[in-house]
Amino acid sequence: MNNKTYQLVKAATNILSGVSMATLIVLGVSFVGFNNAFVFNNAGIAVTNNPVTGDQINFILEGNRRHECVLTRVHSDAYNDDTGESYEFDFARKIYLRSDDYLGSDTGIVDHQWAMPKPDGMGPGVYRVTLYSEFDCVYLLFKKTKIQMFDNITLIIK
Amino acid sequence: MDKIRNKKIAKQVERWDLFARLTPTLFLATSLLLVVFDVVPLEYAFYIGLTGFAITAVSWWWWAIFTIRYLITVLSRASSNLTDVNTEIKIVRKELEDLKDEQ
Repeated sequence: MNNKTYQLVKAATNILSGVSMATLIVLGVSFVGFNNAFVFNNAGIAVTNNPVTGDQINFILEGNRRHECVLTRVHSDAYNDDTGESYEFDFARKIYLRSDDYLGSDTGIVDHQWAMPKPDGMGPGVYRVTLYSEFDCVYLLFKKTKIQMFDNITLIIK
Repeated sequence: MDKIRNKKIAKQVERWDLFARLTPTLFLATSLLLVVFDVVPLEYAFYIGLTGFAITAVSWWWWAIFTIRYLITVLSRASSNLTDVNTEIKIVRKELEDLKDEQ
């Protein structure tokens, strides 16, 4: 290898190494950001038809979502702290009131409204609802299962 | 002794140079291939990279400290020797001038 070729190879490897290092740093920082991000930010769930008098309970979820996430599992219970009773909501019977993308992958502002039937045997009282949800989130090369919980959702049954 | 050590340091600098030029590209290419073909989860590649980065940073830091300390010692010894040579030249010059004056 003559001197000119050697200098060229050296310069090329220097540039390649710099670009690789920058790529590694950008990917590393993006990965940490994705890994630590919540599915929903500034989000909250509330019952919109409190106190519930009929057989349907309406929920609203507001917030925003930064990464593309698909809901894979959801579970919700209502606890009555006075009587100690708890009821599980049947998400198979959920109907959307206003949602175009609750299971989808849109990012940005989230405004979902859905309704579920009142669980059988649920009597009047004040209930504390918790919602556990699992998502598969994707961003660039990264993929991760994330869990987000919402609790202290007040439900009043009349 | 100094010459041997200087050569050793020059070799170490060359090795660091080669390592800095090849490792990022090799690591990026290897980890991308392994992640894309699902051989290694992305998290593993990330933590391996982070560990490698940390080990390199610490090793380089200590090597730099020891090398700089050695270079400062060599520089200060050279400077002191030069001062001695300068003083001796002054003495010799003075003696020569005295000898000339006597003649």
